[in-house]
Amino acid sequence: MESANNILLASHGTEGAQAAEQMAIELCNKGGHVHHLIVVPKRLWEGMTGDDWLNNGSTRDTFRRYLEDQLSQEVQEHQARVSEAAKAKDLNYTTEVIVGEPEECLINTSKKEVFDLLVMGSPRPKGVAGLKSRMLTDSTRSLGVPTVIVPYPDE
Amino acid sequence: MVYTKKSPALLIIGIVLLAIWYLAQSGMMNGYLEHLAMGKKYKMMSELTTLPLYFGVISAVLGAWQLFGSHKEGHFDYYSSTIAGGMFILLIAMLVRWFVAPEVAVVSHAMGKVGETGKYIHKLLGLNYVVLGILAGIIVVNVFKVPEWAQNGVRLSRLGLKTGVILLGTLYSAAELKNLGGLSIVMIGFFVLGSVGMTLWIGARRNIPNSMGGVLSAGMGVCGVSATVAAAPVVQAKSVEIAYTIGTILLWGVGCMFVFPIVGHLFGMSYIQFGAWAGTGILNSAQVAGAALAFQPDGIETLKVAEIFNITRVLVLPIIVLWLAVWYVRREEGAAQVNVGEVIFNKFPVFVLGFILLFALSTTGIFAPANHYKGKYFNNTTDFKESKLLKAEDKATLQSELGKVEREDRKAALGRLIENGKVMSIDDDDVLRGLVNSKVLSKDANHILKHAHKAVRHTAKKVKAFRHWIVWLFAFGLTGLGMQITVASMKQAGGQPAVIGGIVGATKAILSLVVVLMLISDKV
Repeated sequence: MESANNILLASHGTEGAQAAEQMAIELCNKGGHVHHLIVVPKRLWEGMTGDDWLNNGSTRDTFRRYLEDQLSQEVQEHQARVSEAAKAKDLNYTTEVIVGEPEECLINTSKKEVFDLLVMGSPRPKGVAGLKSRMLTDSTRSLGVPTVIVPYPDE
Repeated sequence: MVYTKKSPALLIIGIVLLAIWYLAQSGMMNGYLEHLAMGKKYKMMSELTTLPLYFGVISAVLGAWQLFGSHKEGHFDYYSSTIAGGMFILLIAMLVRWFVAPEVAVVSHAMGKVGETGKYIHKLLGLNYVVLGILAGIIVVNVFKVPEWAQNGVRLSRLGLKTGVILLGTLYSAAELKNLGGLSIVMIGFFVLGSVGMTLWIGARRNIPNSMGGVLSAGMGVCGVSATVAAAPVVQAKSVEIAYTIGTILLWGVGCMFVFPIVGHLFGMSYIQFGAWAGTGILNSAQVAGAALAFQPDGIETLKVAEIFNITRVLVLPIIVLWLAVWYVRREEGAAQVNVGEVIFNKFPVFVLGFILLFALSTTGIFAPANHYKGKYFNNTTDFKESKLLKAEDKATLQSELGKVEREDRKAALGRLIENGKVMSIDDDDVLRGLVNSKVLSKDANHILKHAHKAVRHTAKKVKAFRHWIVWLFAFGLTGLGMQITVASMKQAGGQPAVIGGIVGATKAILSLVVVLMLISDKV
């Protein structure tokens, strides 16, 4: 099923994105390149202190630092998992972490170099728990790369 | 890094404010204001012809300096960068208070009363300037995004609310604070411990991780998002657990802000009853203030009660965080040990000291004469002008409606008013104000009761000024907090936290309603 030499794998840590990781490794030719774009959705995590007003600034700072550490740890675990799978298949693996709006980051990165294929996960089915943040929106129609959307793991 | 942006935004805000002032001052706006007042006198004319001038001049001068001046790194630069955002919130709060809220009332009147409720839809939903200000903030952040030049200043909303609470300290009598404090300790103690325990218990039954149970119980039990922010690092919550919890609390809180005032009016609750219920039953502290001001937009008695409950909650917070920390360490291997002193010191709400300080100052009579709280004109016939006594036709109106009143305390207070032609005690005054708010009587009768209240309650000038500032500080703070409620975070409500949060939140709201209705009267 190998079909591409240069794949852009886009994910932002959801369950659906993890299914896309496996597919990207499967679709990439031996010796090929997988560029892993991980987006940390800015608006989602920025809003996590919500309308708290009772706490002192130090408590809010502690919380922000803690949340950043958590997200960074999760991103590292994510990268390690894909890197290991890529190494096992002798693929060249590069990674990029961006804090921003998922669709905007995806479009920008897809234009940076010529990719044969973009692989990404599908939105979470209704009723399945998980973070609600989508990469696939109307604006991603302007992507100029052949795209594979991988079904959600349980589908 | 230089934070002050060379943007024309602050200058433009200044020009807009000055234009509003000019239009109001010159009378060019009279036609529109008459339309907003619906045949009555436009109530906020004095604000409209002063505040935009003061803040317009400040904004225009500072805006010109920010745009054309040079700026260097440093503390001053950071503080300067917050001005534009602060003025942005203020402008929105002003527009909502002076124009949007009255316009909503006009549209609501045009739509007619809702079914058999006999109320207009804006009254039913509590769509006043405070709630609409929060909604305007939510719309700004989610539809347009907070502009970059305003982002530092939006954080000033917290300062606004904390200053509002500190100033509230000037408005309590010692007896009031003692009684409300006692009531809030009992209510908050019972419901906080109950809901934290209930969340942990249900969480264990549903096999959720300890970290999720810990963070969820703090949010559900103590003060919503603030408690989640304080407890998450201590129980080592995962990012997705934090997102679930905060999403659930925000969604629930915003919903409660609309539902609580409707229920409060349906049950004819007094200010004290509603303040106590909102202060206990609403999960998130920001929406407690919002609901209190939605319930009583033309006064701050309900807010005074609700904020005592908020203060009690935040004082309980370090204790609950410690409890959860110990609970988590016992259950999770490798969890970091807790430094008790550090938790208490870091989490202690410093602004509460400001509240206590101003309360202490007010008891010395520095802001109002001692007889302000005793009520100089109650029971006192020598100082009371005879012209202010109820007229025979007023007494007849009240007498004809006495049958509508069911509660004995209200009936007795109304009876004494009819008999003596004036309100006879502070307790009677509190009960009768509750009766007005419950809207059991006709408009005419309520009008007479409001006059009777004014005849005996003379507010000291400084206290009046504090009330005015408090209302503005809360309007400013809540509008700014609205700008920090993102739909992206609310959308995360789901999974087990939504189920557990729904059960615990509903139980807490219903049980506290029952307790308040059964045990709390119109006065403290």
